Amino acid sequence: MTDRPTTAFADVTEAEIRAAFDAEDYVAEDDIVTTVLLALRLGKPLLVEGEPGAGKTELAKVLAARFGSELVRLQCYEGLTAEHALYEWNYAKQLLAVQSGGSPVDRADGGSPTTDADADPRDPSVFTEEYLLERPLLRALRADADRPPVLLVDEIDRADDEFEALLLEVLSDFQVSVPELGTVRAERPPVVVVTSNRTRALSDALKRRCLYLHVSPPSFEKETAILERKVPELDGLVASELAAMAARLREEPLRKPPGAAETIDWARAVAALRDGGGDGAVGTADAGSAADADGPGTDGELAPETVRNTLGCLLKEVEDVERVDDRLLEELLAAAERARSEA
Amino acid sequence: MTRPDGGPDIDAAGADGNGRLEDAVADHLRVELVRFVRALRRAGASVPANAATTAGRSLTVVGLGDRDRVRSALRAGLLADRADFEAFDRLFEEFWRRLAAGPDDGASPLDDVDGALAPFADSADEAGESDDAADGDDGGGADDSARSLTESFAAAVTDESSDDGDGDENEEAAARYSPAGAAEAVAGGFPLGSTDLDDAFADLTRALADVQGRRFGPGDDHPNVRRALRTSVAAGGAVLSMPRRERRRTAVRALLLVDVSRSVLDAVDRGFLVEFLRRARAAWGDNRVFFFDEDLREVTDAVDAPTAAEATDALDAAEARWGGGTRIGDSLSRLRETAPEAVDRNTVVFVVSDGLEMGDVAGLERELSWLRRRADRLLWLNPLATAAAYEPTARGMAAALPFVDGLFAFAGPDDVREMARQLRRQGAGGRVGYEFDPRRTETQRRTTESPAHTTNDP
Repeated sequence: MTDRPTTAFADVTEAEIRAAFDAEDYVAEDDIVTTVLLALRLGKPLLVEGEPGAGKTELAKVLAARFGSELVRLQCYEGLTAEHALYEWNYAKQLLAVQSGGSPVDRADGGSPTTDADADPRDPSVFTEEYLLERPLLRALRADADRPPVLLVDEIDRADDEFEALLLEVLSDFQVSVPELGTVRAERPPVVVVTSNRTRALSDALKRRCLYLHVSPPSFEKETAILERKVPELDGLVASELAAMAARLREEPLRKPPGAAETIDWARAVAALRDGGGDGAVGTADAGSAADADGPGTDGELAPETVRNTLGCLLKEVEDVERVDDRLLEELLAAAERARSEA
Repeated sequence: MTRPDGGPDIDAAGADGNGRLEDAVADHLRVELVRFVRALRRAGASVPANAATTAGRSLTVVGLGDRDRVRSALRAGLLADRADFEAFDRLFEEFWRRLAAGPDDGASPLDDVDGALAPFADSADEAGESDDAADGDDGGGADDSARSLTESFAAAVTDESSDDGDGDENEEAAARYSPAGAAEAVAGGFPLGSTDLDDAFADLTRALADVQGRRFGPGDDHPNVRRALRTSVAAGGAVLSMPRRERRRTAVRALLLVDVSRSVLDAVDRGFLVEFLRRARAAWGDNRVFFFDEDLREVTDAVDAPTAAEATDALDAAEARWGGGTRIGDSLSRLRETAPEAVDRNTVVFVVSDGLEMGDVAGLERELSWLRRRADRLLWLNPLATAAAYEPTARGMAAALPFVDGLFAFAGPDDVREMARQLRRQGAGGRVGYEFDPRRTETQRRTTESPAHTTNDP
């Protein structure tokens, strides 16, 4: 068995991880901090599960922003193959090279046909670096920066078993063989974050290789803190009102309960409206810090019309929007009022 | 470290592994962690096979000073499913209480100690090498504390002292085979690291491969653009036809259940057995290895040691007992209860056993039925089947026969080679097994033709 490369984060501290989350306005509970610390220190992939919008992908982005050289993202989907995940050859370019009747080294621009030090520069082969299309997994393995990249394998549950097996092979030793080029091995193993929405069970082999983190829907307090950080232009009292209404809505049997990402979108929409209509643009949850607003919004209570008119930012299924009738709207406003009075 | 009510900074709690807990305390921590893992499995939680080791390493990072950190670390290392959180939280309370109570001498891992948790090394040697000048005088306990915690967790499926696995004395006296034996060191005459198995094992892998690898072979699943490109060279770059290809099946997913009772070890060389298991781990990737006699214990990590010699040492360190009695049905029942995920519809199950069952045959049939339903194929490797006169008349073997896809001789590299040959030609479930072994038929023919056979003279 091959020796695994050593992790680049053997000395990372809890304080550094907390500072990274704070700097990126990611509200992380202690269990998230501890688990991320373990993943970095032990050099193990992190399997993050949770409802959509809980902040799984954002977690990888925070790590990339603070600890990694770059974020290499592999979005999984049904039918994802090794060619799309690892590497493939640029067949069109190869075909042109062959049709031109000369070797790549004879090109008019005189460019070097390969960057492979072991290759013969006169080698007319069209299976060289020049024709290689690097896909996310290979890119993460070949990163030559001082700090390893963060490899985000997003929504692994959308991919099929065959791709999971391929991923296991890569994660086992952080190396892969390209027949024409040889074995590519990561000098510094990437920080790996695998996310799943639990739409299907993952293989035991994958689970065995990962540390496990479940990101639960945020509590009222946590969601209030998230809104205060992510939407600073919104008054704190209004943030707590929105968080209370989102929490109340999650108690309903919705087709798609709102995640923290939807609540942030909703808060931005409300903030835009309360700032005088503005352009009404609603930022995405994945944006970093919100843009500076002209000033804090008013601290008046939310009007029922504002709530109803902006529910589309929070609820993404028509059945869920229709569920919010007058009675439920009153309950939402009552929850908001309680939150305001207790704040 | 201090008690949870006043835990230290997380990074002062043992990340550098400079010091060591006193032996008794470290042992107490190991025992309680193993007990906790077992309790989780009994409660139905899906705990991966290597989880205890991962959790142990996690504790060396976060230390024991803060209860919530310990809870988070163990949850990240031991679980892989949100549904198990409730059982975890319930059992964690008991784990923490027992941990805080300390071993019998009253010392607790949660008390202030001069040092921290020993690092989880991959071998005892490595753990020993991790000591540095900061170590205090260990006296006689140094060797013990330098023993890798990983090895302790490799033995996580062995019974704790409270579990009495002794066989019945009457059974012991009555059994001519598989007497309940005492633990014995792993050793064998087969040269460790021998290359005799290389070709045979490669053949076996090719014969069994049923999991798609990344390599392509002839077929019609995908267009073979590369070949089209190459053939187009002769036509001046014009693609005249589109050859196709499909992925070769190159990988094997296996579960190896090895009977290490006395009767088996009398018939098969232990060195060969270890070498076979190591090659299976190296060549087949995702598979697990269990030893069984009167109980079942996983030895996958021990088999994975860097060298064959270290593997045998690790098996010793993992307290892999050799030479006990045989209760195949009970052992399979334990597999079903504790590690059902070890076998799925893609798994080839190897049972290395002589089939001399001391337990309940009806139970053996029940468990084999379950195993066969879950597995892709079930192959039985019997060291007694190397004899030309062998017939599977032992009650355990006879009961197992309807469930197996092939019963093969298994005592050395030649047997592996013959098994691979048969499987390649006939496939599992075809006309394969000891009865189709040409060496057996040749021996039988020579026996019948010999003068000694045709005369009744003494």
